[in-house]
Amino acid sequence: MAATEGIKQHHSTWSPYDNNGGTCIAIAGSNYCVIAADTRMSTGYSILTRDYSKICNLADKCVMASSGFQADVKALQKNLSARHLIYQHQHNKQMSCPAMAQLLSNTLYYKRFFPYYSFNVLGGLDNEGKGCVFTYDAVGSYERVGYGAQGTGGTLMMPVLDNQLKSPSPLLLPAQDATTPLSESEAVDLVKDVFASAAERDIYTGDGLEIVVVNAEGVKREFLELRRD
Amino acid sequence: MANTAIELPPKGGFSFDLCRRNEMLAKKGVQSPSFRKTGTTIVGLVFQDGVILGADTRATEGPIVCDKNCEKIHYMAPNIYCCGAGTAADTEAVTDMVSSQLELHRYATGRESRVVTALTLLKSHLYSYQGHVSAALVLGGVDCTGPHLHTIYPHGSTDTLPFATMGSGSLAAMAMFESRYREGMTREEGIKLVCQAICSGIFNDLGSGSNVDVCVITKGQKEYLRNYELPNPRTYVSSKGYSFAKGHTEVLSTKITPLKEHVKIIEGDAMEE
Amino acid sequence: MFLTRSEYDRGVNTFSPEGRLFQVEYAMEAIKLGSTAVGLKTKRGIILAVEKRITSPLLEPSSVEKIMEIDEHVGCAMSGLIADARTLVEHARVETQNHRFSYGEPMSTESTTQALCDLALRFGEGDEDSMSRPFGVSLLIAGHDENGPCLYYTDPSGTFWQCDAKSIGSGVEAADIALKEQYRKDMTLEEAETLALSILKQVMEDKVTANNVDIASVAPTYHLYTPAEVEAVINRL
Repeated sequence: MAATEGIKQHHSTWSPYDNNGGTCIAIAGSNYCVIAADTRMSTGYSILTRDYSKICNLADKCVMASSGFQADVKALQKNLSARHLIYQHQHNKQMSCPAMAQLLSNTLYYKRFFPYYSFNVLGGLDNEGKGCVFTYDAVGSYERVGYGAQGTGGTLMMPVLDNQLKSPSPLLLPAQDATTPLSESEAVDLVKDVFASAAERDIYTGDGLEIVVVNAEGVKREFLELRRD
Repeated sequence: MANTAIELPPKGGFSFDLCRRNEMLAKKGVQSPSFRKTGTTIVGLVFQDGVILGADTRATEGPIVCDKNCEKIHYMAPNIYCCGAGTAADTEAVTDMVSSQLELHRYATGRESRVVTALTLLKSHLYSYQGHVSAALVLGGVDCTGPHLHTIYPHGSTDTLPFATMGSGSLAAMAMFESRYREGMTREEGIKLVCQAICSGIFNDLGSGSNVDVCVITKGQKEYLRNYELPNPRTYVSSKGYSFAKGHTEVLSTKITPLKEHVKIIEGDAMEE
Repeated sequence: MFLTRSEYDRGVNTFSPEGRLFQVEYAMEAIKLGSTAVGLKTKRGIILAVEKRITSPLLEPSSVEKIMEIDEHVGCAMSGLIADARTLVEHARVETQNHRFSYGEPMSTESTTQALCDLALRFGEGDEDSMSRPFGVSLLIAGHDENGPCLYYTDPSGTFWQCDAKSIGSGVEAADIALKEQYRKDMTLEEAETLALSILKQVMEDKVTANNVDIASVAPTYHLYTPAEVEAVINRL
């Protein structure tokens, strides 16, 4: 009896979730979108790897960056990629970023009571070629915004982005353009600086920065070293 | 008097009433305040002429770095220093308290403090608090009996070692010591190995980071090498910097309330006013 | 064609030795008995027009529905067994709504047509909710999506074609010849309305009135013409 009770207790403290840390942000411009995430994956006080990409190309003009529990994130990415492949076969076209945004929301809500422990930002170009960013919670609540930050360093970065990119309230009528007036290179510069700053103060953010820029020409990737302590 | 029993003085032993009360409050959902914990790498080793202590300089509060360049090597006596890991307040308070006791002891005896004295004072204090004072220490110094290096755990147990590590980065640091330490190292070799051990903690343990502090204690001499290494420079600084134009914070409304005029009371003329 | 008929025309899922599925071919015959429907594509949108065949003056004309809305941006005209078409349209409505729910965007016309044809082909499978025989109906599906206006024509075999202009039903031969002669790609929507109705007029036995034809446009959203709007087109003939 005592032995089985011991096992029971062990089971009750086991959690199916972990938080692997990391930060993701996205910024929408008039004709581009910048999506960035650090490349550290950690658990507790340990670094699992310094070179892990949290960014996933879901479609030609649609990129998702996710922090949280990377096992769930991988499962989510596989699910969305499979759904996108089916979509391409059925409809003979790439999924648009707003369509992927709705699909991601549904996919997350479908697991409302055993959620994917993932915090996502989706960025890309919409059907008019304008930059678009969608931010999510773990169970699929989402919103189209001008910029967004998620993950362990998200709360550190957001006030800086608010200050530099301040966008109109989404409740304003008529709807105002939420994209930032910054040029593409200015936005990339801001992203680098904001990550270098977050790496100073958030222990789960660091090692490397992966930046993806989506514009009419296609998708560009860029890397920057971050502090490794 | 119905409550005579309660008013009786305690017969002896320790009282942990408040710990029980705190547990009860925690169960009822009362949040205890968060402490600044130095998730830390601290090390020490004995070399041919004395001891070398080392520490990183990161202090954290949960996942946030609250001090990027704090001091974790505390002064105990002119010939004794002590590295602290655990709750910052505890390590600072406990080393300060023992340090002043040692000072008084030196006044009383007129002799240099011994490392064992510091060790005994520290461990008896920690033991009496049964681990609730969360200080994990690496104590090192050189006295008339030679160089000494000790580790002290929060519950009061101690070890005497040729090389020691403590804190969340202790395993990373110990990996370096176990593979590279040997007896009778020179000063340069010793400092180099301490730095390697601290860097191992800085880079592989998320609780440790920023810079390397080193303290070398030899017979009749000590050298506190603050920020001996700076292995984590900022990797990117925006070329254009930032300007904060006036109006970044929206002014929603303005209201000016004039201060009340002072009423002057002139002595003797009160009745006339 | 019927000379080779044998026992092979009984089962819906049995090929004849000549490689034919008789039941499907018979279903296509059923459409040739149906009322005529015409669809035309213009740069601005699609015009659909159908003959309603009001067989009795006691019949309420508005209850004869041969042009139906599938989604805001897709409509369809039908000929053949109208009851079968309702099943197909219902299926398409579910598919387009599902697409809106999943992706927050309207379903493309081609995908909608494909979804319809998937069901049209799923006969004789024996499961609860599939048909035991081919659907005896042909559809003209008009839609407007990111590729602009599109017109599709489907038949009971589950095949579909994209067309600039097409007719179905009993008057198909005469109507198709007329379309080939008179249809132009650069027609205005108004010219298309007139042409559609003039072709119906040619093939219909009765006189064209606001009661016995239906017209709908998808330009870019579905709109079924009111009797007054139909009257206005008739007056232009």
